[in-house]
Amino acid sequence: MDGLIEIITAFAAQEPGIFALIIGIIGALVLSAVVNVGAMAVIWADRKVMSDFCNRFGPNRVGGRWGILQLGADAIKLFTKEDVIPAGVDKGVYVWAPIVASAGTMLVAAAIPFGALHIGGKDYPLVVANMDISAFYVEAALSIMSIAVFMAGYSSNNKYSILGAFRGMARMIAYEVPMGVCVISVAVMAHSLNLVEIVQSQTVWYAFAQPLGFIIFLIALVTDLGRIPFDQSEAEEEIICGYNTEYSGIRWGLLYFQEYNNFLLGSILISLLFLGGWHGPIIPIPILDIISPMIWLIMKVVIVIWFIILIRAALFRLRIDQVTDLGWKWMLPLSLVNLGWAVIIGSYFA
Amino acid sequence: MTTASEVLSSIQSAFPGAVSDARVESDRRLWATIDSNKILDVCKHLTGKLNFDHYSGSAGVDWIARNEMEVVQIMASHGAHQVVAMLKVKTPRTNPSVKSLTGLYWNASWYEREIWEMLGINFEGHPELYPLLLSDPLVGVWPWRKDFKGYPDYTTGERAVAIPTPDGYTEYSFPPTPAEIEAGTVPTERPKYPSFLERETREIKSDSEMIMHLGPQHAMVPGPFLLDVLVEGERVKKAFLDIGYIHKGIEKIMENRTWLQDIVYTDRMCYVASLSNNECYCGAVEKILGLEVPLRAQYIRVILEELSRIQSHLIGTGEFLTLIAGVGFAPWQYMIMDRERIISLIESVTGARLTHTFVRFGGVRNDLPEGFAEQCKKDLPFMRSRIEEFIELFAQDPIYHARMENVGSISPETGKRMGCSGPVLRATGVAYDMRKEDPILVYPELDFKVITGTRGDSADRIDVRMREILESIHIIEQCLDKIPSGPIKTEAKIPKKVPAGEAYYRVEDPRGEMGMYVISDGGDKPYRVKVRGPFYATFQTLTPLLEGTYIADAVAIAGSMDGCPSESDR
Repeated sequence: MDGLIEIITAFAAQEPGIFALIIGIIGALVLSAVVNVGAMAVIWADRKVMSDFCNRFGPNRVGGRWGILQLGADAIKLFTKEDVIPAGVDKGVYVWAPIVASAGTMLVAAAIPFGALHIGGKDYPLVVANMDISAFYVEAALSIMSIAVFMAGYSSNNKYSILGAFRGMARMIAYEVPMGVCVISVAVMAHSLNLVEIVQSQTVWYAFAQPLGFIIFLIALVTDLGRIPFDQSEAEEEIICGYNTEYSGIRWGLLYFQEYNNFLLGSILISLLFLGGWHGPIIPIPILDIISPMIWLIMKVVIVIWFIILIRAALFRLRIDQVTDLGWKWMLPLSLVNLGWAVIIGSYFA
Repeated sequence: MTTASEVLSSIQSAFPGAVSDARVESDRRLWATIDSNKILDVCKHLTGKLNFDHYSGSAGVDWIARNEMEVVQIMASHGAHQVVAMLKVKTPRTNPSVKSLTGLYWNASWYEREIWEMLGINFEGHPELYPLLLSDPLVGVWPWRKDFKGYPDYTTGERAVAIPTPDGYTEYSFPPTPAEIEAGTVPTERPKYPSFLERETREIKSDSEMIMHLGPQHAMVPGPFLLDVLVEGERVKKAFLDIGYIHKGIEKIMENRTWLQDIVYTDRMCYVASLSNNECYCGAVEKILGLEVPLRAQYIRVILEELSRIQSHLIGTGEFLTLIAGVGFAPWQYMIMDRERIISLIESVTGARLTHTFVRFGGVRNDLPEGFAEQCKKDLPFMRSRIEEFIELFAQDPIYHARMENVGSISPETGKRMGCSGPVLRATGVAYDMRKEDPILVYPELDFKVITGTRGDSADRIDVRMREILESIHIIEQCLDKIPSGPIKTEAKIPKKVPAGEAYYRVEDPRGEMGMYVISDGGDKPYRVKVRGPFYATFQTLTPLLEGTYIADAVAIAGSMDGCPSESDR
């Protein structure tokens, strides 16, 4: 074991470039595995929790009474389906849209800390790319999904798709701005744009330090995820399936999956920015004390996910003009008010 | 209160010689044959002077033995009085033609198109006389005429011409015979319903517009009907509606089955409201037969019809809510679960969940089972608490108000003029309910209110339906207290052949005013059954309502009508 570490250290000293590349590839593999498995869990939770709210059973055949393997069965079905590219689509854009969506999600995942390990009284955050402006970067990368949505809708040569694409774009523009202002407010209070430092600076959760910002960010996040009451871009009863009407098989599967990837990452992001991230009392049991920050983060993320699923079961869908009205006329001014609040409070306590 | 005889004398004094044959059946029914040249003036007189502001529809009858055809205009009033005037206009069987009422009544258009395509009666002055229910090649076949030969003749007989299509299928066309062209019963140039491409080239004015389908294959529609919307961005500029995708020809089928067998077909017109359809048909036949229904049977009918109204309103509202909230909306599932209790109650009496065939001439099929009243007393208070919960839930939801209020608003005057009825009309504030207007069974003895709204928008429609459920529960509870013991069928023997006569009978369907015009010629089958469906009447109002709305609102408006294309197509 010691010999192996020595060899690796020697190799790292000898070829730093190749070593960084190898570590990066391993990190990317681990990351995509974690994110995608997490998203699968989110899809399962979405179905199961939704059905619980609606007093139904949900998937309960494949994989025991909890339907755990249902998603695997669905994935196999989607992978083995015929790959249909309809005549008349803009083929290049059509093919690349799901890939852009996946790439965008992975870019988000790269900068998000997935928790921390508590070793020897110190927190070691688990983040692939720990950059100084990660909060800003994550916010920017989250909106790549909107570009993919527009690509998919625009290239499909379908009336429902184009409406879905326009709706998605209008919604994105209306909500990225207040969302960005909220991130800035958090950064002002934390004196940093680094997500790790933002978490570490939260002696008081920012959800309590700036409740207005938290609410606005939550609404903007639900909008960004395209879930009811903000799912106009794929409103089933109005425009069939919106931007992915013409997609089928694994391409549709990828687009669908990225929504849930974003759902997971967005929930982690809001936990990090506003809910104190992995902060929480350390569990005084060996081994568990090491991962107790992770446990706290996962608990917070699960609560956020549960809440967003509950919204879907409880609320009506807004009309697209009401959505943009809400974004420009209420969210943006209120988020600026919140920014002012953050500046005042932040400089007072600094 | 105006009575039928007063209406008749008013017409006779205003237009001497116009009424050739009149019969005052009761205070509420007037049958009169009007000179075909005077029909427009008589209708104007009725509407202007005698408050007949409700054009309820029209029926065509082919009297092949007398070699003439009849168009029966059904006129009623929105609450001013209770008279229903059935005005008949006669026309010879060769080159049949009558004057169109579309200039007077906005909603006459569909009724006249239907009569034209089914019976071949031309309507002078109708602006767009093209087929409504039938497909284009069937125009000229005149399927509801009594000398129509039917299926085998027209597909395998000599007359049908097989045309192979490029796809390898065979289509049949029915060219008119020279004799028919000479007689003028068949239009040589058949008006065609505009195709999608024709419509696109005609309607689209700029590059920013497109025509989008919202049916017949769409997640929105409760059943197949064509709804094309011309949109510019998110705005609907114009809507086009076409029905007939599930036309079953039930009115014609009923002419070929015995009186008793026909009850089964009334179920199939709208399976969500099959009990009121049963009631409507049986009531009309009872009227011809002059049967008295025993009191207990009347109570059983009322109980079941009100139960049926509750379950219909629940599924109608629930389906509508999914249109604006997505299928994951939890209250929708709860409505369906609650509906299940009502369905079980009905099932315990009739033995069927949806298509009951329960009402019989002069009674009902079977008595209430033991323990029915107890079960009702358990379920109905639960249902009442649930409905109150739903009303409260919607009242406090800001998104509900944002999506529903002032969406698809109809003013009381427009609602009356367009001929809609039921919750859609009552939401505008017009208290028009057949249970009060044309009371049947034991309804006059029961205490209930007619629920009305104020604004006539989608929110009001849901509110009216919800509060109507509470009224229905109240009615059922009264019935369970008052119901006497006794026979459930009339003692009189019901003849196989119903004596010649005609009757028009109206009931309050969950969707509005349902009327059936039944004619007997003394045979063992009905001579003609005309169904005046409530949704058929309400459906017409959809196109003008959609103009200028958003796409999302168009879906909400179409859903708020609680549509049943099965009943409107029949």
